Amino acid sequence: MTEQELLFGLRHGEESAFKELVTRFQDRVFNTALGLLQHHVEAEDIAQEVFIQVFRSIQNFKEESLLSTWIYRITVTKSLDHLRSKKRKKRFGFLSSLFGDNNMPVYEPEDFNHPGVLQEKKEDAAILFKVIDQLPENQRTAFVLNKVEELSYREIAAILNTTESAVDSLLQRAKQNLRKKLNEFPP
Amino acid sequence: MQNKFSEQRVQSIMESLGGLQPAAAPDFFYTRLKGKMQPAAEKKTFFILRPAFITAVLSIFLIVNIFSLISIRKAPAEPVSMQSNKPATIETFAAAYNMNTGSVYE
Repeated sequence: MTEQELLFGLRHGEESAFKELVTRFQDRVFNTALGLLQHHVEAEDIAQEVFIQVFRSIQNFKEESLLSTWIYRITVTKSLDHLRSKKRKKRFGFLSSLFGDNNMPVYEPEDFNHPGVLQEKKEDAAILFKVIDQLPENQRTAFVLNKVEELSYREIAAILNTTESAVDSLLQRAKQNLRKKLNEFPP
Repeated sequence: MQNKFSEQRVQSIMESLGGLQPAAAPDFFYTRLKGKMQPAAEKKTFFILRPAFITAVLSIFLIVNIFSLISIRKAPAEPVSMQSNKPATIETFAAAYNMNTGSVYE
């Protein structure tokens, strides 16, 4: 099925087209969300929300970018929104444990282990993910898209709606910050 | 303060994502996704049962009732001339509404 056929099917509410879309993009969406959120259950939840969003707003997709770029953009936006909401909850953890969220306390995350990391690098990768977690949003996004999802500068620039040189600059700053934080580790 | 990691270790950590295999979505991802989409569609059909809708309808009903009660209380009392001591019979009712027309046979 070509991208045009897929889009035609999605716009006409065909279930087979939706299934094809999910099959084609589920790994990329999940891997990106996992890199940004560093939590398996949350990443699956966000990946599901991404496909629901795609299904609901496919009529608004103007084809000014590739379908994959649009889906990556939704994934990044939803993941960052989720991270912000998590930070807010952590900030007001005491109140939310009293009044909301089923009285569930907000737990500190354990060390994250990406399932695709080579066995001998697992310990180092866990430390790296811990410091990635402290990067500013845009640097973190660029770094994850480049190192975890292995996207090119051009693809990242399209997703973040910026230029390739801006992506290069973001990645340089991300690497500098990571080195700085590693030298101060544990914070 | 002494650095915890040597420069060599920092370099090793920085390169630890080299050769990373992308994570695959969990098994039955599509089935779970369809399951998540289903309740959202069902909820739409039962909007009448949503608390917000029920509260709004009951509030409107209550406001209309209060307004009616206030209006009735404020209405002027019936003039004395309209009141009557006569018992309510069919004849008095017909007379009050000018319904006692003569028969065509009279």
